[in-house]
Amino acid sequence: MNYDCIIIGGGIAGLTCGIKCTGEGLRCAIISSGMSALHFSSGSIDLLGSRSGQNVVKEPYAELGRFIEENPGHPYSKCGQDIIQKAFSFFQAEVRAQALVLFSNGDKNHFHVTPIGTLKPTFFSQKSVFNKKIRDAFYRKPKIAIINIEGFRDYYPKMAAVNLKKNRLFKGCEIITGSIVLPGEKLNPKNPHEFRSIDICRIFDSKPDLDKIASRISSIAGNADIVGIPAFLGLNNYNAILKSLREMTGYILYEIPTLPPSILGMRLDNALKARYAELGGVFIAGDRVIGGKILNGRVEYIYTENHPETRLYAPSYVLSTGSFFSGGMISDAEKIQEPVFGLCLEYAKGRQNWHRPAFFHPQSHPFLSFGVKTDEHLNPYGPSGERIGNLFCTGAVLSNYNPVQEGTGSGVAISTGFWAGTQIVQKETGQHTRNHD
Amino acid sequence: MKRIETDVIIIGGGATGTGIARDCVLRGIQVVLVEKDDLASGTTGRNHGLLHSGARYAVQDVESASECINENRILKKIARHCIEDTGGLFVTLPEDDPEYHHALIQGCKKADINCREISVTDALRIEPNLNPTIIHALTVPDGTIDPFRLAAANILDAVERGGTLFTHTKVTHFLRNQNTIIGVCCHDRLKKETFEIYAKVVVNASGVWGQNICKQAGIELKMFPSKGSMVIIDYRINNVVVNRCRKPADGDIIVPGDTVSLIGTTSKKISYEKIDEAVVDDDEVEVLLKDGEKLIPNVSKTRMLRAYCGIRPLVAVSGKMDGRDISRGIVRVDHEERDGVKGFISIAGGKLMTYRLMAEMTTDLVCAKLNINKACTTHQIPLPGSEQKSSEHKQIKRFSGIPKSIVGSTHFRHGERAHRILQKDRKSYGLICECEMVTAGEVDYAINHLFVNDIIDLRRRTRVGMGPCQGALCAYRAAGHMAQHEATHEEDAAKMIIDFFEERWKGIKPIFWGDALREMEFTYWIYQGLFGLGNLISGSRGSGKGVETIDEIRNF
Repeated sequence: MNYDCIIIGGGIAGLTCGIKCTGEGLRCAIISSGMSALHFSSGSIDLLGSRSGQNVVKEPYAELGRFIEENPGHPYSKCGQDIIQKAFSFFQAEVRAQALVLFSNGDKNHFHVTPIGTLKPTFFSQKSVFNKKIRDAFYRKPKIAIINIEGFRDYYPKMAAVNLKKNRLFKGCEIITGSIVLPGEKLNPKNPHEFRSIDICRIFDSKPDLDKIASRISSIAGNADIVGIPAFLGLNNYNAILKSLREMTGYILYEIPTLPPSILGMRLDNALKARYAELGGVFIAGDRVIGGKILNGRVEYIYTENHPETRLYAPSYVLSTGSFFSGGMISDAEKIQEPVFGLCLEYAKGRQNWHRPAFFHPQSHPFLSFGVKTDEHLNPYGPSGERIGNLFCTGAVLSNYNPVQEGTGSGVAISTGFWAGTQIVQKETGQHTRNHD
Repeated sequence: MKRIETDVIIIGGGATGTGIARDCVLRGIQVVLVEKDDLASGTTGRNHGLLHSGARYAVQDVESASECINENRILKKIARHCIEDTGGLFVTLPEDDPEYHHALIQGCKKADINCREISVTDALRIEPNLNPTIIHALTVPDGTIDPFRLAAANILDAVERGGTLFTHTKVTHFLRNQNTIIGVCCHDRLKKETFEIYAKVVVNASGVWGQNICKQAGIELKMFPSKGSMVIIDYRINNVVVNRCRKPADGDIIVPGDTVSLIGTTSKKISYEKIDEAVVDDDEVEVLLKDGEKLIPNVSKTRMLRAYCGIRPLVAVSGKMDGRDISRGIVRVDHEERDGVKGFISIAGGKLMTYRLMAEMTTDLVCAKLNINKACTTHQIPLPGSEQKSSEHKQIKRFSGIPKSIVGSTHFRHGERAHRILQKDRKSYGLICECEMVTAGEVDYAINHLFVNDIIDLRRRTRVGMGPCQGALCAYRAAGHMAQHEATHEEDAAKMIIDFFEERWKGIKPIFWGDALREMEFTYWIYQGLFGLGNLISGSRGSGKGVETIDEIRNF
């Protein structure tokens, strides 16, 4: 099979790039070795959460210019503000095509509630996590009920409530907690006290008795205005389920992210994959690209673990293999490597310099910023230092940014995925991109 | 100020201190034990968990070897649920002195340790992962012992028989009447409460910290702290203890324990001022991995979980100051005799293996001071949980309906006490920690009966967070579970998680590469990326800083 572009890695960066390319008519294949990091995410999309790890950013677009100036090697600086803004609009529109609605607070960040009851600034959240109704309710010092499902062990309402109350935003809000028993749980062969989000999600997806659930919620929430529920209200019918429960109970219902697996993240993952498939993209799951041939500053071909004899050729390649956790980089006691092509990396020498003395150190850890060195086109450098012109690197495999500390993880994935896609489309179709010539 | 009166105060909640508490109570003596941190949080919980046969000392120190084998036999009876009777091997590598194993056989004979030479083929049959190039192999009655369980079982018995325990409570100063110690003043860090305890005898069983305790009493007791470091690998790659048959040196033993294996041990002299901040050095990790691989080659292919170190409480008895050359013998000091300070005893030196003997010796002296004429029974009366020998098979039958794996691990950790934990209520056997199969019921039992104040304490009682994920999922669950069930823990839940990971982090830093790095990146994503836990910045345990929330801007 002939492809215009082969993308290595099917996470948020790879999929964004794949959707951009297929949407513009390119033949595209994504080779994905495992689960997307979205399954471990909040399911919200961060653009820029904080500057220098301390100051919460109010208006990320307004801050971006200065941020880019201060961080010339940052992936955002390679994309440029225009591409970043386009990438975010593009992403929002593409997942909306799959009925997944992302809301932003205009051009401002909003806070989403974390599982532990802290607040994190983010840019896009799913409708069930942030919307105008929830926002406006806060002006009225709402009474909040946090309700769990009996036995779900990956959410603890009391712990969340205690931490929420410490926050100025929730000062003066009454927060009550409780849990309901899911109807029909006796039919479930699994010990209901070992439920994880995905188990409860499956029950919601298999048409449970929503009337009963609604009345049980009401019996605990009483006269609350807002009811927070861990995010497990279905993977397929979540819009309908939320709507029904809202109508039946009259509460403003919102979902709170949980420990992984993240249902909110899985919804995003599903929407992206479905959108990509709808546009005609090929997704090869369960295989891993283990190597490739680099010749004269170009990737000639790549090959995979399952079919090491089969050479896969394409004019353009994208490396979206993620960070250490996803296998995009591997480390031993002395060094760090990029395992597919042996690309040049940017990282600190000496493993004592990979981390901080404290785990929750305010300056975060250096290893989170390690990654592949690229030029402004996201082209990396090969083992002998030569620039590789037909390989683009996107997402967490890139160096020079700390996704956790800056609150830029999904933003960089989307922006670099989109920027790589834009350049590949331009190369393949001769289209002209406006800002990077 | 609150004032407590008792017969004996014991300072230190390690194996020795808890052992003394139990021995005293069994002889009808009232005790109060004061521990500055948690049970087994010092040297007791920081060794390789070897149930010595004594063979490791048989060549150089027959006396220690005899003590070991005697205690080995006793502990196999009274502490069944803390012990795995795995057996042990001594193997000679081609590069080792081939004559040493003869000396070892002779030494074992002298110390009455059952040591037998077997063929290399048989050794490989017993332990298939062994280096196949070994030239000699001996079997010895080594085993493994869980020091956390051991200390908990000792104090549990003491408390159930009327003793009193204060953990997270530090001795601030001694109460004296001229040259007699009449008690101590303590501060409870968690309740933020200061109180006085008066007693007829005060026992300093604080191990390497004993030098400081003595100093508080105006007495000099010189310690030569020797650091021993170990690396834990993420699989149980051996089923019997594997020793290298040579003069004891770094990296010459691999001990299986629960779900993991440990490579031990180094010996490095450190200055006394550093005992609370000792860390594993890179060269120690290197030598442990290099020499560990020589014993069991697939060490190098196995993921490392963490590295940690303990400080041996060696007391200076002679001029020599090297860690391995100072006697590991037991040092019992009657300060009335030595320093003219009445009502004060120190017990130090020794080994985890001889904790019971040390407790017996100390209690004998306490009895002499109190004019009590009662013999020690700790060698006969089993610890709670070890009352009966009962097979896992029997337990599984007894608790049919509950998943086998849960019955098995609960029984493994708590012995006969499993019947207080396992209930056929599905809620009670919902899992909190999948890696180590710790259930909600076991967590509740530990909170209610095993003196647990936070999830670090909980880890020592149940193994929550000790498995491959190092708490990535279960730290949140365990803290949440505590918060849901105990109102007092609600406020602390987030801080407990922070403290837990800062404590885990200490052991991960020395081996921070490969899979350990991957795992911690995942943990960091969840707890910092997803939870923003570090935004609730607090100091670590003991730093006194409370949890503060970042000043949120109203952004809606």
